[in-house]
Amino acid sequence: MRGSMRISEIFRLVYLNLSQNKFKVILTSIGIVVGSATIMLVLAIGMGGRAEVAEQFKNLNAGAIDISYGGQGSFDMDSFMSGAMGNPFGGQGSSRGNSGRGNGSTGFPGGSAGGFSGGVPGNVGGFSGGTFPGGGSNGQQKSNPFGGRSSGDEVILTTADCEELELFVAGITDTTISYSSKASLEGGELESATSYTVAGVRSNYAGISNLKMTIGNFLTDEQDESKEKVCVLGMSVAREIFGSAYAAYDGSVYIDGRPYVVTGVLAEMGTVASGISPDTAVFVPYETGIKYVTGPSISPTVTVIAADVNSVDRVMADVETVLADSYEGVTFNISDAGTKMEAASASNETLTWLLVSMSVIVFIVGGIGIMNVLFLSVKERTNEIGILKAVGCSRKDILIEFLMEASCISFIGAVIGVLLALAVTPLVELFSVRVELTVSGALLSLLFGVVTGTLFGLQPAYRASRLIPVVALNQE
Amino acid sequence: MIRMTGINKGYMLGEEKLPILKNINFTVEKGEYVAILGPSGSGKTTLMNIVGCMDEMDSGEYYLDGLAVHETPQDGLTEIRNKKIGFIFQNYQLIPTYNILQNIVMPLLARGMTYGEAEAACMNTIELLGLTNRISHKPGELSGGQKQRVSIARALVGRPSILLADEPTGALDQSSGKDVLRLFRELNDMGHTIVMITHDSQVAKSAGRIVRIVDGELYED
Repeated sequence: MRGSMRISEIFRLVYLNLSQNKFKVILTSIGIVVGSATIMLVLAIGMGGRAEVAEQFKNLNAGAIDISYGGQGSFDMDSFMSGAMGNPFGGQGSSRGNSGRGNGSTGFPGGSAGGFSGGVPGNVGGFSGGTFPGGGSNGQQKSNPFGGRSSGDEVILTTADCEELELFVAGITDTTISYSSKASLEGGELESATSYTVAGVRSNYAGISNLKMTIGNFLTDEQDESKEKVCVLGMSVAREIFGSAYAAYDGSVYIDGRPYVVTGVLAEMGTVASGISPDTAVFVPYETGIKYVTGPSISPTVTVIAADVNSVDRVMADVETVLADSYEGVTFNISDAGTKMEAASASNETLTWLLVSMSVIVFIVGGIGIMNVLFLSVKERTNEIGILKAVGCSRKDILIEFLMEASCISFIGAVIGVLLALAVTPLVELFSVRVELTVSGALLSLLFGVVTGTLFGLQPAYRASRLIPVVALNQE
Repeated sequence: MIRMTGINKGYMLGEEKLPILKNINFTVEKGEYVAILGPSGSGKTTLMNIVGCMDEMDSGEYYLDGLAVHETPQDGLTEIRNKKIGFIFQNYQLIPTYNILQNIVMPLLARGMTYGEAEAACMNTIELLGLTNRISHKPGELSGGQKQRVSIARALVGRPSILLADEPTGALDQSSGKDVLRLFRELNDMGHTIVMITHDSQVAKSAGRIVRIVDGELYED
């Protein structure tokens, strides 16, 4: 029987045809160029987003549950969930100063207007869901702020609440309490007083938040009890004020005019999802901060660590029950790290899929472009197809030749697209978009490009292979 | 070699079928040089397309080298075209983007040979037709006579049972036309079977036997 044309020889013909129509090849492949570049960038941006989320949450303890005062009224799961998901203005904070309903019903992220907050890094809900009940509520507390209970409308969580939760809620390994505020810092290389986030934390905060030291030690219980004026600086703060972590260590800074000894500098932690950003914060002992920086009107966040990540929901329910027992009619924002991670990951996934869908549309448009040009090519080369058939090329040979042409055009387009994506990446990064280029992304772009072009080339190639020899040959 | 009996072929013209070939009976023996002579529109090209397995007949029987062409499916016809028939066209039918060698080796590539094997196999033919110095040229760079030589070379390289030439001198000047006819004579002397279609009685005279076709009917001289 007759052998078909060898694939290597068909490829030779394809090379001949394409090399003599370079401009047409480039024009034909533009759709695939754009499609491949898009899909590679989209994957890279998606990977970048994923890496960013992972980085932001790397210090977050998955079993961490943040609890903060949410306002008066019955507990509302929806409201704390919306808090957890990040209502940027924290609508629950109907706090009251001693002048009745205070004007601080809206919290300000970062506590810039005197609002206070705390929580381990990643505390989205703590910040946004009413963690700042008193943007302006520096008014006096009716209750003893250290006594564990408020006799007035506003509740300030305390160490006593931590102890109570540890006592009554099963499956808790640790608790801590923290708050943050803005304060003016001087010293080192600073030419003028500059506002920084000052966080009042307990000694176990570093362990719970997975903070690591570059130099020195974190704050101790003794320093907290004796309200010593010591502090630990985040890496960025140390660099800004002293030039380096080593220069900062054992140095002095002035917080609201009072001198503090720098007992340590944290290792660089990178960005965090929310909450106290370790790199840009100054950590002081909890009690020291209340005495010298914030005063008693703080809105702390209690952080509870569930022993088992799978029991977080139960621990949250138990925490809610215990707090409801202690503070009748008070709403607390209770949010867990896992939910935040899931929400952030889910939103990132959604964005990635949205972008991938766009790429697929671009590919379809590109594929249709290839199909149109190939149809035109079949029409233009009908006579050539007739000659090939006359000399004995089979339908299969012609089908493969045209399919290979489509594949090669697509491959060339996909390669150009990948190169284009590499070239465009620095521009995308200029807009602060994190791009993580990967070999698998490039290979996937190539694969998508070739498959799309080949699929759309099928119909024209089939049509070419089915031409009747005598009709094709007589076509001018 | 060729045995056709009762061949009919027509084309649809609107609702009606226009008969082109009417009950054709045609025989060619091995080593013959036959000219089919007829005016334009007589059906000679249609007859050649059927002889060359490029078109299907409506009815009749056609045997080529003992093979029942009328019962052969499309893929089989492709094989017959590749192995048993060499085509020489009036307008050469060369692929303009390929060079001369690439055009000539095409029937051998279609058989599954590598380019190198095909090139080696066709060098004698290229030499025979005086095309050695032209193999890297494109068809557009050759004269009409040279193009027809390329077309003949392509028809010969597959060592077919029969050469089918459709108005081979039709697009050539008198001198080039005479060269081609002289070449046909030589090829026939070498044992090649040739069927040539022409409207020119002077050209037909170069063949050993002339068959006339008028209004789709065949007459032996």
